[in-house]
Amino acid sequence: MISWLSAHTALGPFFDGLLQGAATTFIASSLAFIAGLGLGVLLLLLRVAAGPIGRYAVMVYVSAIRGTPLLIQLLIAYFVVPGLIGISLTPLQAGILALSFNTAAYISEILRGALTSIPGGQVAAAQALGMRAHQKWRYVLLPQMFHRSIPPLTNEYTVLLKASSLLSIIAVSELATVARNATLQSDLPLQVFSATAVVYFLILLCASSISRLIERRLAKVMPNAH
Amino acid sequence: MPIDLAVVNHAIPALLQGLKVTATVSAIGIPLGILIGTLFAYMADAEHWLPRLFARSYVELVRNVPFLIVVYLLFFGLPQLGVQASSFAIAIGATAFYTAGYFSEILRAALKSVPAGQARAARSLGFSVWQVQRYVVVPQSFGYLIPPTTSLIIMMFKDTAIFSVTSLPELTYQSNLMTADTFAYLEVLGTAALLYWLSSIVLDALGQVLEARERHWRHR
Repeated sequence: MISWLSAHTALGPFFDGLLQGAATTFIASSLAFIAGLGLGVLLLLLRVAAGPIGRYAVMVYVSAIRGTPLLIQLLIAYFVVPGLIGISLTPLQAGILALSFNTAAYISEILRGALTSIPGGQVAAAQALGMRAHQKWRYVLLPQMFHRSIPPLTNEYTVLLKASSLLSIIAVSELATVARNATLQSDLPLQVFSATAVVYFLILLCASSISRLIERRLAKVMPNAH
Repeated sequence: MPIDLAVVNHAIPALLQGLKVTATVSAIGIPLGILIGTLFAYMADAEHWLPRLFARSYVELVRNVPFLIVVYLLFFGLPQLGVQASSFAIAIGATAFYTAGYFSEILRAALKSVPAGQARAARSLGFSVWQVQRYVVVPQSFGYLIPPTTSLIIMMFKDTAIFSVTSLPELTYQSNLMTADTFAYLEVLGTAALLYWLSSIVLDALGQVLEARERHWRHR
């Protein structure tokens, strides 16, 4: 269908690049999400279990990420970070780097919120049963924390899918860049960007239906977690 | 990598000029969006299906299309329709458009947090529909309204950085001009980031003050 659309409509250049662009959007967001999840868990551990210095360092980091635009973070990752660490980054690498560090701050806050929402009686009960610290985390706190974080985490993933459109500013050839280039070739910005909006809409609709499916599955597996 | 303070000094006036534009767009666009969002919040739970469908589709649209695409659509699409709008007007419009979608969801959730029995009780005491909202439902929803609204305001304030693609001379655009001139990426982008950060901290603090006020008022 896409090849027919690119051959027979005025938006040819857009449909030509559509699949490639959507794939880049998806891959960049997914990689950033996975890296962000790892970093976010690390930040959470620093925040709750590494004393006052760790706690304040994480608080400042989260405040800085949440207080500045992603666009500025992207520009810093692309133009400043390579000079600081002495490695050259492609636009895609810099983009994924910025998205990862950005989403890690939000993810660590999501995880912390889930952790603090677990009633204190559970920790007391675990101790009363004679559980050691690592058992308390392994069997009581972590499973419930991750379970409670699933809805906000899937939401964070859709936020990331949308935010990855900013990668076009540093010339990563994702969906928004494909659209920009197509307007230069076809001179039909209204149609091209409307089509782009529809494509994003469909991608995000898929993502949110999948996340609802996961939530329902989990509700069956752990019905008493809430 | 040493930091060149001379470049920072040189950059600050232009960046502050940009911050002024960023603040102006936010100060007009966000309240406008909150007004429109309030309307949509009530429309989304209206009796008639038409306003309901309209408001709910609007929210879905805003939540599922990136802000950048909305900005591109307005900036490049409007001239094609023969509408000539300045990048400032587009910035206000896009900010209001996006804020409205998010705020209507926040307000709906806050209004729903007030038990329905309260509105029924007020009605049975002879309050008009308007008075029920004004004196019973809306004041009680503030506790649920203020924290997410603060986050939304900060989010939209930061998102105005996207208007740099439309050559609106706001903070990010000014810093792009400076880096193109001086190549002092660390100094200029760092200063711009600090200005955004400080502004967000101030907005966040204002939100906290409001929350404290609300709690104080509630416990009286």
